[in-house]
Amino acid sequence: MSLIEIKDLKRHYEMTSETVKALDGINLTIEEGERVILLGPSGSGKTTLLNCISALDVPTDGKYIFAGKEVPRDKSEQMTTFRRENIGYVFQFFNLLQDLTVLENILLIQELADGKDQDRALKLLKLVGLEAETNRFPAEISGGQQQRVAIARSIAKKPRLLLGDELTGNLDTETSTRVMKTLVSACESEKITAIFVTHDESLIQFATRVIRIDSGKIISDEKVA
Amino acid sequence: MSMLLTKRLMRSLWRTKLRLFAVIMMVTIGVFAGITFGMYANVVTDMYEDTYLDDEDGVNLPDIWVKNPGGTWNETTSENLCQLVEDEWSSDILELENCESRLILPGLMYHENESMSAIWHGIDEGNIDRVWFPEHECCSGRLAEAANEIVIDYHVAKGLEIKLNDVVSLGAGFGKIDYNVVGIGLHSNHFYFADQGSIIPADVGTFATGYLSAEGLEKLANVSPGTSNTLLIDVKGTPAYDLLSTPENEGPELESLVENLTVSFSLQDGISVVIHDRSGQESVEFLRADVEGAKLTYPYVTGMIAVVAGVTIFLSLQRLIQSQAKEIAVLRTLGVPRTSIMQGYILAPLVIGGIGSLIGALLGWYVGGPGMLDFYSEIIGIPIVLDTASNSIITENVMIAMVIVFLSGIRPAWQASRLQPLEVFRGQNEVRISSRTIQKLTAKLPATLGLTIRSSIRKPIRLAFTFLALGLSMVLFGTMVMLMGSMEDIFGANNDYDAQVFIPLEGEDEVINWAQENGADYELVLQYPGSPEGDNRQFLIYGLDKIETKDSQLSMMGVNLKDGDLPIINSAMTQVLIDEGTSVFLDWEVGDQEIIMLGSTPLKVEVSGITKGEMQRTIYFHRADLSQIVNMNATSVLLSFSEGVVINSDLEDLSIGISTTEDIKKSMDTLLEQQQGILFAMNGLGLLIAFAVLFNTLVMNIAERDFELSTLRVLGAPMNKLGIMLLGEHLFIGIVGGIIACLASVFMATMMVESMVQWAFYFTIEPTLLHILTIGGIVVGMAVALTPLGMWRIYKMNLVEKIKDLSQ
Repeated sequence: MSLIEIKDLKRHYEMTSETVKALDGINLTIEEGERVILLGPSGSGKTTLLNCISALDVPTDGKYIFAGKEVPRDKSEQMTTFRRENIGYVFQFFNLLQDLTVLENILLIQELADGKDQDRALKLLKLVGLEAETNRFPAEISGGQQQRVAIARSIAKKPRLLLGDELTGNLDTETSTRVMKTLVSACESEKITAIFVTHDESLIQFATRVIRIDSGKIISDEKVA
Repeated sequence: MSMLLTKRLMRSLWRTKLRLFAVIMMVTIGVFAGITFGMYANVVTDMYEDTYLDDEDGVNLPDIWVKNPGGTWNETTSENLCQLVEDEWSSDILELENCESRLILPGLMYHENESMSAIWHGIDEGNIDRVWFPEHECCSGRLAEAANEIVIDYHVAKGLEIKLNDVVSLGAGFGKIDYNVVGIGLHSNHFYFADQGSIIPADVGTFATGYLSAEGLEKLANVSPGTSNTLLIDVKGTPAYDLLSTPENEGPELESLVENLTVSFSLQDGISVVIHDRSGQESVEFLRADVEGAKLTYPYVTGMIAVVAGVTIFLSLQRLIQSQAKEIAVLRTLGVPRTSIMQGYILAPLVIGGIGSLIGALLGWYVGGPGMLDFYSEIIGIPIVLDTASNSIITENVMIAMVIVFLSGIRPAWQASRLQPLEVFRGQNEVRISSRTIQKLTAKLPATLGLTIRSSIRKPIRLAFTFLALGLSMVLFGTMVMLMGSMEDIFGANNDYDAQVFIPLEGEDEVINWAQENGADYELVLQYPGSPEGDNRQFLIYGLDKIETKDSQLSMMGVNLKDGDLPIINSAMTQVLIDEGTSVFLDWEVGDQEIIMLGSTPLKVEVSGITKGEMQRTIYFHRADLSQIVNMNATSVLLSFSEGVVINSDLEDLSIGISTTEDIKKSMDTLLEQQQGILFAMNGLGLLIAFAVLFNTLVMNIAERDFELSTLRVLGAPMNKLGIMLLGEHLFIGIVGGIIACLASVFMATMMVESMVQWAFYFTIEPTLLHILTIGGIVVGMAVALTPLGMWRIYKMNLVEKIKDLSQ
């Protein structure tokens, strides 16, 4: 059974004078363990697709099946529960809570998901190479380190799918490579499927599959590993 | 300054309409309240000044009163005493204009089978302290000339619907006599219309006053022609007198004159008098003190509410600047000078203040002020005959409000102009974390709880300002709650007697016989005027049969003993109790030995204890002790009726006035009922402002945490968990805010009361646990009640848009 099955997915925005077709009939199947990179120019619809996959946005039409079940799209709390139970999210600007230490940032997500597990949080920090920074605050560590904390946070509640939107967009090349290696390692060890949105072609090396999107449609879909 | 920049700022402000309206409303309320109280204080002050004038329209208020506390003088003595005043006149600066004798007696008025206590004035010449017939619908007719004519006081005529040419029945201890009503007017002694010895405005049908011809009252009281008990002395012009409410002596010349006259009278055989200037005349002093209190208070009320508005403007502008940081950074990058940025943010509060002030001024001038005067007129019962107020009140209040809102905008404007574009673009200006200490202190707590606490106090300055504004706005509510509590304690008719029967000289035996025949318990009371030695201020002196505490219920007129012991009868040195106000104003303490003037007789007494709860300055003697000194047995009899016993005509015929506990209670209930509207309005106002302040801060807190909260929502945080976090934060702010509101209320209420109390009326505020719980509970309740609003905001967050923001 595929993890994600998307059929003829559409996301249209009604503007004053026209209808913007951000997604215009996307068909996509993603298997467990894949690491997919969505590539495309600005405004191509890749972030909208990511938002629909994470149940942040509601498609205008089409079908979206996750692990054999239709993803809720009407009730906000059901969508939140879906995200909590299935999705990990890494932001471009890390979005760590500045008032919490590195460790607390991870524990917070576990607490909110009713699954506080300090041992796992420490293990994840070790996995991303930050076991020495557990009690430091985000402002006290580098951008690359912050992004690695964000990765640890995103997988802290054992999601089945990890999403990232331009997650290295705010990092230099060397740090980007290190972050991506960490991510790949984390996904493999935790057996997590991942989808990343990026402009950066150099990240293809970390993916198992590359999907290119333009004008709300998939224009190419190829396996790379 | 660029119009486009201003337009941009105005549009930004318009986006936060609710907050904008709240701030404008606060300025409006501040100016409105200031103008309302100011107009009342100014109009009433001017009105009294005009009323008391020595001209044709004024009443020609006396400058000195000489009163006989123990009886009356015959015609010859009255004339001799006026001659004495002329002969012994010691001032070269102040010139004697006139001395007039008058008979003023307590009595009864009968109306529809009911009797009420009364004060009757017998006016002969009537050049001084005239009956006042202002050009107003309240009053009409003429002075009483014939022996069967009377002018009824407007308060009584209005309450009992008495009209010209009606016939009224009066008594003064010698049966009933009918009089024709030839006028309805007012008198300076009864502008503040309260029963003798009381400070509560008399309710309809409980007290009456009337102004007869001298001949008319002599007939009623069965006294010889020319009998008097008061000398009214008029000094040329209007000399200054020492105001009881100020530490300075405004009238040393008049005071010296009064002192010299006191000495001269004391040298006369068999003459005991009480002499005082206007400060000793209760009705006059009470009303003056009341408006003076309002005059002192209104700039503070405006200022206090304007400060709350100022704090809210300050916080709102800071938040606005924070949310517009990127726009400002872009403008700065494009070369817009600092001054142009700054001007807009300075202009904004001025516009807000201007709009609020305009609305407040219009409402205050056309609605609040006239409404307050009507309210005052209703409670005091004096028609407002002067309807012009100086528009300097508007200028004064608007200036206070505008200066405060202007100051509130300076720092945010300065901050806006100093934003560094590069820091803003890097997002460094938004990085705000709580202090290390707080982080360490909460390190052991669960992350959710730690975050709740840390984010609550992330911005200590804002929080401090919020608590300041909350404290100030709750002061209005808290003060009112405590004042209402104190008023009920002070005015509460908690005596253990049913009626106080005032008796003619040596008339107690007849009343005692009546009590014994009718199965009523009784106690005698001797009331006598007194003053501290060399001091104009008057005491109310009680001689009681039994001096006991209220709790013991062993006396019909119990006392609340605050310090010391009850006095021992027949001590080597007479022991007395003094009230708390006397102790404060004269600095008399338990164990002190002081001299009290009983009429013209000095008496050294020992203060055995201090009582509380009396509004007027009061001294309690054992009646036996006092009686020996003043050579009087009693002035009234307290009666406690057994079931079925009522006041009948026999008792009325024996008395010169009956004051019932039921009447006092009725007056108290009416007063509270009348005041309830305004007190509730003030309470509502305080709560509304406090709610607006709290709402503003909590909404800003949530708005500022959009980043955090949306991140958590994207990561799947459930609403109930976020709700609990928010509730914890609001609860924390509510509890701290509640404590501060309680402290501020108690502090400000105490300060306010301390500045308001005077010799004429003294009271203290004693906050109870109930008061504290009410004030604190309301703040906590309001903070908690705002949690659903925060949750709704989080629930309604457009996560797709937030994700875009988070990625930019």
